[in-house]
Amino acid sequence: MNNNSSLVSNVSRRGFLSLAGAAALTASLSACAAGGGSSASSGTLKFWDMPWGTSVYATEAEKLAKSFTGAGNVKDVSYQQVLWNGFNETYSSAIASKTGPAVSTGGGFQAFQFAAQGAVEYADKLIESFKSNGLYDDFLPNVLDAMKTPQGSVAVPWAVDIQTLWYRKSVLEAADVAAPTTWTEFIEAGKKIAAKGYYAWGISGGSGNFGPMAILSLMINNGGGLFNDGGDLDIVTDRNTETSEFVIEAVKAGLTDPGAVSLKDDDLVTQWTNKKIGMGFYYVGLDEAIGDNDVVVMDPLKGPHGDTGTIQYVNNIMMYKNTPSQEASEAFVTHYLQNMKVLWEKKLVSQLPALKSIAGASSFTGSQSNVAIVNKWQPIAKTLATKGTQSSAKLAAIDGGQAMADFCQTLLGGKTDAKSALTKLESDIKAVVSS
Amino acid sequence: MAVLIAPSVILLLLTNAYPIVYAAFQSVHDGSLINAGDFVGLDNFARVLSGEAFWKAAGFTLVFTITGVFGSWLAGLGIALVLQQKVPARGLIKTLLLLPWVVPVVVSSTSWNWLLSTDSSPIPTLFRSLGLGEVRFLSDPFLAQVTVCLFIVWLNFPFMMLMMSAALTSVDESVYEAAKIDGASPRQQFMYMTLPIIAKPTYISWVLMTIFCVNEFPAIYLLTHGGPVGSTSTLVVLAYRTVFQNFQTGPGVAIAFIMTIALATVATFLFRQIRKSRVE
Repeated sequence: MNNNSSLVSNVSRRGFLSLAGAAALTASLSACAAGGGSSASSGTLKFWDMPWGTSVYATEAEKLAKSFTGAGNVKDVSYQQVLWNGFNETYSSAIASKTGPAVSTGGGFQAFQFAAQGAVEYADKLIESFKSNGLYDDFLPNVLDAMKTPQGSVAVPWAVDIQTLWYRKSVLEAADVAAPTTWTEFIEAGKKIAAKGYYAWGISGGSGNFGPMAILSLMINNGGGLFNDGGDLDIVTDRNTETSEFVIEAVKAGLTDPGAVSLKDDDLVTQWTNKKIGMGFYYVGLDEAIGDNDVVVMDPLKGPHGDTGTIQYVNNIMMYKNTPSQEASEAFVTHYLQNMKVLWEKKLVSQLPALKSIAGASSFTGSQSNVAIVNKWQPIAKTLATKGTQSSAKLAAIDGGQAMADFCQTLLGGKTDAKSALTKLESDIKAVVSS
Repeated sequence: MAVLIAPSVILLLLTNAYPIVYAAFQSVHDGSLINAGDFVGLDNFARVLSGEAFWKAAGFTLVFTITGVFGSWLAGLGIALVLQQKVPARGLIKTLLLLPWVVPVVVSSTSWNWLLSTDSSPIPTLFRSLGLGEVRFLSDPFLAQVTVCLFIVWLNFPFMMLMMSAALTSVDESVYEAAKIDGASPRQQFMYMTLPIIAKPTYISWVLMTIFCVNEFPAIYLLTHGGPVGSTSTLVVLAYRTVFQNFQTGPGVAIAFIMTIALATVATFLFRQIRKSRVE
C-alpha cells in the first residue's frame, strides 16, 4: 500500500462530503465577507469613488474629498477607489456587512438598487437645500429628474455619460464618403469604408458594456427602447425589430469586425487607437482618451422614421444610511459638487459635467467634440428607462447584465433574425426583473 | 479539554458553518444580500430548475468537468510515465511543466485571452499564416467551449502529473520484474498492474479535480466571461451572475446548493470506488 492509499483510508466519507460541500458553497459565499470598520461607528466619513479617469484622477479626487473640513461629528474623510471589475460584489458585500461607505459614486443605477433595499438615504432634503446655494439651477436639463423615484430622489447627479457616434475623418476621406446623417447613409458609407479595409462600425460584444449600449443607443435613436410609456417591459416592437434588422444588416454587410462578439471594450479602444475603425458609438472624450484629433463627433443620425436620440447615464453621488452623520454626508456632497470643477479643468474626467457652470467653462468648451455633444446630443439623450420616464432598481440588473450582453452577441454573430433575438431578450430580462 | 478546543470550534463554526447556514437561509428567501426578504420555501430552487439557462450551464459544466478531469488525468499520467524513464534534464522539464499550475490563474487566463481573442492575436495570426483560415477561438460558441476545455486541461495537468508521479514512484519495481518473468507485455503490465496499483490516488485526484472543475470560476470568467451567448457559462458562473449581475440572491444561492448536492453525489460514488480498490 502506498502513501496516497493510506491517506485515502484515513479520509472518511463524511470528510469528502464536507469538502465537496464547502468547496461548492465557497464560490458564492466568499463575497459575503468583507473587512473594515463601520462607517457609522467612526468620526471619519468614508467616501468610495470609481476610477472615472487615470491614476491622476484618483489623486485629484482624493485631494478634493479630503479638502472637506467636516460637519457634525465628522472631522475628516477617507477616500477609497473601487475597481469597476466586480464593483457590485464589493458594494453589496460591504453594505451587507455594514462596512460600506457613507457616500459614494458608483454605477448609474446603483443608487436605485440600494435604495430599494433600504441602504441608501434619499436626497430630497439635500436637493432642496441646493435652491439656496445656487446649485439647483446649475444642473443640466433633466439630470435631476433622472434620479427621481416615487419614494424620492435616490442620489445627486455629478456627471453624464452619453454614447455618441464618432468617426475618423481620414478614414472617411480615404473612402471618399461624407459623414452619414441617416441609417441608410450609414450602411452605404460603411460598405465603402469596409471596402478600404477598415472596420466601418467599431463595436465590442465581449466583456464590458460598450456593445450592448451601442445597440440600445440605436434602439432609442429609432424611437424604441426596452419599456413602453407606462414603464412596462415592451421589447418586441416594430421599432426595435427594425433596429435589430439594421444591426444584422450591418454585420452581414461586413461593417463590423467578424470577431466583435468576443472583443473586450479595451480591444475596441485599441482598434480606435490603431486607426482600424471608421465609425462607431463611444462615450464622451474618445478623442482625448486616445489623443487623436482625427477622431471627431458625428451629428446625430436620423432613424428611418426621422427620430433621433441616444442613451445617457446620469452618474451620481449617493448617501448611505450607514453614516457617522447624515448632516456630514449632505455637507460633503455639497462640498464635492461645489468644488469638482477642478476635475474638468485638469481634464481628468471623460464625461459631461452635470453642472452647466462647468460645461460652459472654457476648459470644457475648448474641445469641439465636447461642444457638439452638449449642444446636439445631450438634448436628445434618454435614459435606459425610456420610453418610460422613471428609473428603478430593476435597471441595475439590466444595465451591464447578461441579457443585454447575450442579445448583443447574438446580433453580432449575425446568425439570427431580429424577432427571435428580441423575443429571447424580453424573456431573459423578464426573468431578471420579475423577482 | 473542552475549554482548550473551544476557540478552534468557534472559529470553525464562524468560518464554515455560519456562511453555509446563512446561505441556506438566503436560498429560501427572495431578498438581496442586504435584506433577506420574505420566506419563499423552495420557489428559488423550482425557478432555477425550470430555467433554460440552468440546464444549459449544467450541460456545459458536465462537459467541462469530464474534459477537465479526464483530459488532465490522461495528460498528467502520460507525462508522469514518460518522466519515470531516464529522460535528460528531467528535473528541469518537470519544473517547466509545473508552470501552468504555479502561475496565478488570473495571469494565465489573461494571457490566453491575449493569445486568442482578436484577429490580430498571435494564435489566429499563426493559423492564418499557415493557411488554416480565420479561426475565431472566442467568438464562435463551439470553438469557445473547446478553448475553455483545453484551457482547463492545460491549467490542471501539472497537478495530475504530480499526483501520478507520486503514485508511480511508490510502485515496487520487483512487481514488474516478476510480471516480465511471467511474460506480461508492457501493455498488460500497464493495464493489469500499473492502473490497479495507482487506482486509489487516481480516484482521489478525480475527486479533487471534479471539485476544482465544478468550482472553477476565474479561468472561465477571465477568458470568455461565460460567452459568447452564454456558451461557456458553467453553474458557478451562472450563480455568480445571478447573484451579482441580476441581483437575485436566493436563486443564485440555490444554484450553489444544487451544485453542492451534485458534487456530494459524485464524491460519494468516487469514495466508494476508492474503498473498493484495495490493492496491496
